[in-house]
Amino acid sequence: MLKGEGIYKSFGGLMALKGVDFHLRRGEVLGMIGPNGSGKTTLFNIISGLYRPDSGAVYLERRRIDGLKPYQITQLGIGRTFQIVRPLAHLTVLENVAIGVLYGRDGIHQMRRAKARAEELLEFTGLAEKQDQPAGRLPLADRKRLELARALATRPSVLLLDEVFAGLNQVEMEEAIDLVTRIRVEFGVTIFMIEHVMKAIMQACHRILALHHGQKIAEGTPQEVAGHPDVIEAYLGSTYADRL
Amino acid sequence: MRSIWPGRITGGWIVSVIILCSLGILPLLSPKVYFLSLLYMVFLYVVLAESWNLIGGFAGYLSFGHVAFFGIGAYTTAFLMSTFHLPVASVLPISLLGGLVSAAVALVVGYPCLRLRGPYFAVITLCFAFVVQILVENLPFFGGVEGLWLTPTKETVAFQRALYYELMMGLMVVVLLVVRGIEHSRLGAGLIAIREDEDVAQCLGIPAPRIKLLAFVLSAFFPGVAGGFHACYLTYISPVIVFDVMISILIVLMTLLGGGGSWAGALLGAVSLSFVNEFLTTFVRAEIARILYGMLFIGVILFLPNGLWEFIRNASFKRAHAER
Amino acid sequence: MNFSLLLQSLISGLLMGGIYALLGVGFSLTWGVLRVINIAHASFGILAAYGAYWALTLLHVDPVLSLLPIVGLLFFMGMGIHKAIIQPITRAREIMVASMVLTFGLAIILENTMLVIWSPDPRVLTPSYAGRAILLGDIGIPMTHLVGFGLSLVGILLISLFLHKTHIGKAVQATWQEPEGAALVGIDLHRVSRIAFGLAISAAGAGGIAMAMMYAFDPAMHNLWLIFVFLVVIVGGVGSVFGTALAGLLIGIITGLCMAWVPYHWINAITFGILMIVLLIRPHGIFRTGV
Repeated sequence: MLKGEGIYKSFGGLMALKGVDFHLRRGEVLGMIGPNGSGKTTLFNIISGLYRPDSGAVYLERRRIDGLKPYQITQLGIGRTFQIVRPLAHLTVLENVAIGVLYGRDGIHQMRRAKARAEELLEFTGLAEKQDQPAGRLPLADRKRLELARALATRPSVLLLDEVFAGLNQVEMEEAIDLVTRIRVEFGVTIFMIEHVMKAIMQACHRILALHHGQKIAEGTPQEVAGHPDVIEAYLGSTYADRL
Repeated sequence: MRSIWPGRITGGWIVSVIILCSLGILPLLSPKVYFLSLLYMVFLYVVLAESWNLIGGFAGYLSFGHVAFFGIGAYTTAFLMSTFHLPVASVLPISLLGGLVSAAVALVVGYPCLRLRGPYFAVITLCFAFVVQILVENLPFFGGVEGLWLTPTKETVAFQRALYYELMMGLMVVVLLVVRGIEHSRLGAGLIAIREDEDVAQCLGIPAPRIKLLAFVLSAFFPGVAGGFHACYLTYISPVIVFDVMISILIVLMTLLGGGGSWAGALLGAVSLSFVNEFLTTFVRAEIARILYGMLFIGVILFLPNGLWEFIRNASFKRAHAER
Repeated sequence: MNFSLLLQSLISGLLMGGIYALLGVGFSLTWGVLRVINIAHASFGILAAYGAYWALTLLHVDPVLSLLPIVGLLFFMGMGIHKAIIQPITRAREIMVASMVLTFGLAIILENTMLVIWSPDPRVLTPSYAGRAILLGDIGIPMTHLVGFGLSLVGILLISLFLHKTHIGKAVQATWQEPEGAALVGIDLHRVSRIAFGLAISAAGAGGIAMAMMYAFDPAMHNLWLIFVFLVVIVGGVGSVFGTALAGLLIGIITGLCMAWVPYHWINAITFGILMIVLLIRPHGIFRTGV
C-alpha cells in the first residue's frame, strides 16, 4: 500500500538515511524502532512531504508521492502525528480537529457540518468534554489524543504515528493502545508507527522494522526483530535482551 | 476566546446597520468639513488595517511594506486621471483598476516572498516597499519626487468631500464584510492554522502556499482601491505622501493593538488609533507623537500580546461567569 | 575604463565594508544566539555618533578617545534595555517576530528622541585629521576612513575573542544551544543574555562612530544603516562573526563600485534589490553550505 525504495537523505554532510526500503501492507500495523538519531522521524518527514529525499522514491498505491507538498500528501490520504506534540495552541480542541476535517481528504467544506464531524471524532477519542479548551493548555496525555483526533480528521488511509505513547503513564498508555487498536478497526486505516515503548510495540504491531544509523538492520515479526542480534546490540542493549 | 464559528451577539446586526446609516447620511446634514475629513481618515485606516489583518493577523505573515500597495493604487489612479483628464465619475472604476494593479503586483511579489517565513518575510516586504518608492521617484512619467497633480474638476469642494467620504465608507463596509466572512470560513480557519504552525497546517491538508498568496493578494487589493480614492481626494500625490513608512507602521500597530485574526480587533485598533493619531498630530509635535507610538508598540507586545479586543472579550467573559 | 577610479572605489568600498561588518556583528549575535532581531540596533550606532559629536564639538575630544566611555555606557544601557523589555518576552513562542515589533518601537523612540535633541540636520564627525589623506599615486585614502576601518578590525577581533576565548562568551553560545543543559550547570540564562545584548549594542555604537567619521548622519539615517546591517548579516549567515566580517567586505566592495558607476539615486534601490535576491535565494547566507 505504502512503499519506499532506496531513500537517502543528508543534512549538511550528515547522512540521516542511507538507502532505506520499507513496505506497508494494507490493514497492518507496522512498527519502527531504532535508537535516537537513527532517522525514524526523518523518514516520516519524507513520507509526509516535509522533507524531500535526496534520492529514492515513495509510492502510495503505486502512485509516486515523494516531492509532493505535505498538503497534497495529506489529501491523498496519509495522516500523521508529531513526536513533539504540536497543537495549534491558540485554537480550541474542537477547532484543531475541525480544521483537519475542513481540509483533509474529501474535506467537508461546510463549517457547521465540519463542526459536527469534529465533535464525533472528539467523542471517539474521549476529548468531548474538553472541546472548548485552548489546545495549548491540555495535559500531555490529552494532547496526544488530540494529535490522533486531528490526524483522523483528515480521513487518512495510512496513519503515521510518531511516538504517541512516549511520556504516558501506565494507565494512559493502556488507554492509548486501546485507542490505536480501535482506530485501526473502526476506521480501517493502515498504521505505521515509531515507538520506543517496547510493551506497546510488542502488543500493537504485526511487523517491526528496525533502523540504525539511517539503515534498516532488521524487519519481521515483533519476536523475530526483538531477537535479532543486530537489533539487540544497536538498540535494546543488554538490559532489554535480558528481560526478553 | 475567538472562534472560527460566528458568535451570536443579539442585535449586533441592527446596531451595525444603525451606526452605518447614521454615518452614511452625515454629509447631508452639512457638518464641518473637518469632521468629515476626520471620519474619512478613520475609514481609510480601517480599510488598510483590516486588509493587512488578512495576511498579518490571520496568516501571521507580518508585511512591513504594505504601504506600497496603497501607493501603487494611488499612483495608478492619479496617473490615469491626470493623463487622460478623466471626470469625477470615473473615480470608482479607475480606483478599482488601481486595486487590481496592486493585487497583480502582490501576486508577482507574493509568490516568491511568501516562501520566506517570520522575520525574513518582514524584511523582504520592507525592502519591497522601499524599492517601489525609489522606482516611482525615478521614473519620469510619475513626476519624480515632485509628484503628480490631478486635473481640477468643476464640482464644489463640499461635494467632493462628501463623495470621497461616501466612497471610502462604502469600501470600508465591503472590507469589513469580506474580512468578517473570511474569519468564519474555511479560508479563515486555514490561515489561522498557518499562523499557529505552518508545518502542522500543511500536514492537515491545508494548501498553505495557495491560500497565503490569496490572502496576500486580497490584502493588497483593498489598499490599492483606497489609494485610488485617496489620490483623488488629495488631488495631489507624491512619493513621500503615499509611500510614507509611517503608514505601514500605523497599519501594523493598529492591527496588533486591536488584535490580529479577528475583524473586530483590527476595527477596534484602527478606529481608536486613528483618533489618537488625529489628536496627537493636532496637539503634539510629530516627534513626541512618534515616541508615544514607539511606547505603544512596546506596551502591546509586553502587556497585550493578543490585542485589546481579546482582552476585553476575556474580561467580559470572566465577568459573565462570575455573575452566574 | 579608468583604472585608478576602479582601484579607488575598490579600496574605499573595502574600508566601508569593514565598518558595515562592525555595525552588523552585534546584530548577528543577538539574532543568531539570543534569537532577538533588534530593529533598534542601528539607532544605537547613531546615538553613539551623536555622543562622539558632542564630545568633539563641546569638549574637543577625539572620537577615537570618546568611543571608549560611550561604548561603555551603551553596554550598560543595552543590559538595562534587555532586562526591562527583552527578558519578559524570551519565553514567547514567536520570540523573533515579537522582538522585531518590540525593538521597532524602541527604534522609533530613539530616532525621535534624537530628533528632538539634535534636530534633523545632518552632522559629520570632523576630528583634527579629517582633511588629511594618504596618497598612493592617484589614489587618496582619507585618514578618517583608515581610522574607522582600524576601529572595525579591533572591534570584530575583540568580539570574536570574547565569544571563543572567555568563559562568559562560551556560556553565551552554550546557553542558547542547550537552554536546559545550561541551566543545569548553573549558567544564569538571563544574565548571560543581558551581557550579550549589551555587547551587541556596544559594537553597534563603535560601528556608528566609525561610520560617522566617513559620512554625514542624522537621526533617521539608522533606517538605511539597518538595511545594510540586514544585508551583511543575511549574506554572511545569521550568528556567524566570520561570515559577517566577510560579507561586510564583499558588500562594501559592491557598494564602492556602485558609487563610482551608478547614478546616486539608484544606489539604494540596488542595495535593497541585492538584499531581496539574497533573501530569496540563500536566506541562510551565501557562505554556509547545507541546511
